[in-house]
Amino acid sequence: MIKQPLYIRIGLALYLFMFFTYLIGPLILMSITAFNSASFPQITPWEVLTFEWFPKLFSDDRILRGLKYSLYVGFFTVILSVSMGLAGALMLTQIWPKLRSTYYTIIIAPILVPGVVIGISTLVFWAEINRILGFSADSYLQNGIFLSVLGQSTFIASYCMLVFVARLQRYDTGLTEAALDLGATHLQAFRRIQLPFLAPAMASSSVLAFLASFENYNTTIFTHQKFATLTIVLSQKVRYGIDPTISALAFIIVCLTVLGALIHEVRTRRVQLALANGAPVGAVTGGFKAPKFFAGNPAAVVLGLFVGAAVLIIGFAQVYDPAPAKQAYTDQKRAIQKKAIEAIQQKARDKVRERQMKGPKVFETKKGTGTGSPGKDSFGSVFKPNNLDEAAGTKKKKPVGVNPGKGAFGNIWKSDNLDKVAPKEKGN
Amino acid sequence: MLTNYFKTNGMVMGWGLLLLVFFWIVILIILPQIYMFNLSFHPHLPPPEMGGPKDFLTLENYRYLVFGADGNPDGYNKVDLLVFIRTLTAAAFVTILDLFLCYPIAYYLGQSTGGGFVRILVLLLIIPYWINEILRAFAFKIIFGDSGVINEFLMFFSVIDSPIDFIRANVALYAGLGYAYILLMIFPMYNVIESLDRNQIEAARDMGAPWWMIHKRIVIPYAKPGISSGCTMVFMLSAGALAAPQILGGPSSLWFTQLVYQWFNTGGNWPQASAYAIILLLACLVIVLSVMKLFKVNMGDIGK
Repeated sequence: MIKQPLYIRIGLALYLFMFFTYLIGPLILMSITAFNSASFPQITPWEVLTFEWFPKLFSDDRILRGLKYSLYVGFFTVILSVSMGLAGALMLTQIWPKLRSTYYTIIIAPILVPGVVIGISTLVFWAEINRILGFSADSYLQNGIFLSVLGQSTFIASYCMLVFVARLQRYDTGLTEAALDLGATHLQAFRRIQLPFLAPAMASSSVLAFLASFENYNTTIFTHQKFATLTIVLSQKVRYGIDPTISALAFIIVCLTVLGALIHEVRTRRVQLALANGAPVGAVTGGFKAPKFFAGNPAAVVLGLFVGAAVLIIGFAQVYDPAPAKQAYTDQKRAIQKKAIEAIQQKARDKVRERQMKGPKVFETKKGTGTGSPGKDSFGSVFKPNNLDEAAGTKKKKPVGVNPGKGAFGNIWKSDNLDKVAPKEKGN
Repeated sequence: MLTNYFKTNGMVMGWGLLLLVFFWIVILIILPQIYMFNLSFHPHLPPPEMGGPKDFLTLENYRYLVFGADGNPDGYNKVDLLVFIRTLTAAAFVTILDLFLCYPIAYYLGQSTGGGFVRILVLLLIIPYWINEILRAFAFKIIFGDSGVINEFLMFFSVIDSPIDFIRANVALYAGLGYAYILLMIFPMYNVIESLDRNQIEAARDMGAPWWMIHKRIVIPYAKPGISSGCTMVFMLSAGALAAPQILGGPSSLWFTQLVYQWFNTGGNWPQASAYAIILLLACLVIVLSVMKLFKVNMGDIGK
């Protein structure tokens, strides 16, 4: 490539940086909130480093049940959509040429049809079948897992089909014919010749199908009935009240994804390197030699660092006790609140005094936020400007002694966040 | 014909293939759509009355979208129509946003020689795509919320006094939707640009073409199938998105899929929901097909 002028290279670097900030930044920020002890997932104000959301996550029944249903649905979806996708791909090469493009359009269409439409059509169709057959409303045809598997497989099979078509293009049908000539049955030829050739495509389409099923929302929201999968549970949690256990889950999922991607990258890179050096593939896919493993393979280095960091963090979490820091934070916050309340009381007293001095005529009072209060300036933007009033207002209802102030300010901010979600749901 | 088919596949394999493909195409794809289409022309009735004397074909469900309930003083169902139009324009906006955002990176990746740096970039591209849709929206809620990162940051440096309501202004929604489908825009373009012969660009450069002319005359015409494929995917998916608008949408701005969801779950009116779903499907198809016609791209290029 020709060397570009400097301004283009700087521009490109800047663009790449911004682009990947947009891409990765949200995930990092979300992961960080999992370690803040504030009861609302937030980065600022940072309270205390904590690992408490992880045990809380693992004791959340709804999430665990959601995970179980997700695994059920995922398992059956993989089986159904991989086999349908494979059949669809095999059929594509055999169907009458005149029909081929129509056929291809039909089996590719589910990818483009909105998931909402697939979900609704699956549900209404099977409800009708159920009615025609005269089954009761809770028969297995109306089972949430059954419907979710069918709804998801409708379009996931199309993804699988694309993977198989790409692989089949390189298949030499002469191999199958040779096997048949040598006396194999069709089933044997398929199982012993074609299936091993398709094994990589099987693996990647299975992973693809499982991930697509696991994260599907649009279709499952209509078909799940009583079996809320993990994604559905998450969406309900995010819409009706957020807490950092979701961040903890997000952190785990991000880590697993990164781990999976790195392992995949390391493996492909190793094979590539070996092939470039002229070694047979079998020689490198086994065995593990540390220096060689990392050589010329940046992903392997990253993977090593990643695993090391994970071990360190888990070890640190075992010995780390957030209680003292939390106590200090609570004390600090209580002191701030006390000062704020004092400031407001002082202001009220001043006002009364002022009124007494100026007489009853002067009635209008400045609607301000106690600009002279000691608490606000010294803590800068820990507060929002109008927070002092709100804090004081809440405190009147809830004395400091009863609620030792965990997330008191967080709650005040949160309250209007939640309202914003709620009216939308109620209003329509 | 069929005997030939069974000769090449054998009885067991042949029937297995036929059965699977039949199940997929007829039972999963075609019949449910046809039934939903049919249902959308029926009135909303409790199950015992279905097929009874009150069950007749009607256009009522479609009429409702345009004119609203009987005796509507406005004459038109302004709320729903507005939501419908806004959804489509917003989806188009998100598509264009993604196109401009992704074209440079697709070009950069496609034209690079594939060193270790590029491999890491591709890895970074794929990772967000495998994070759950809900969690991606959740991340944007953390960033754009009232006490979100951006507001806190701006207030810390006293750029603003009170939080900006990004959610109400739909900034969060557009950013979240654009984010969700970046990969679907990049990869089709990347695949096409990768196969572009670099000599063509070199030749144009040698002839003295400025960089924008190279893109206009060589890269973009060549990448057209990839661009249209990416745009189609992003447009369809963002118009049909449900989770992101539910989580990131402002209180006053609904997405059309949310109307469908409400008819279905809250209202329990399946025929009405079906009618809305059909309208969404048809509108998306018409827009995508006409845009493809406009840019002279074939259906077969999609999904490559």
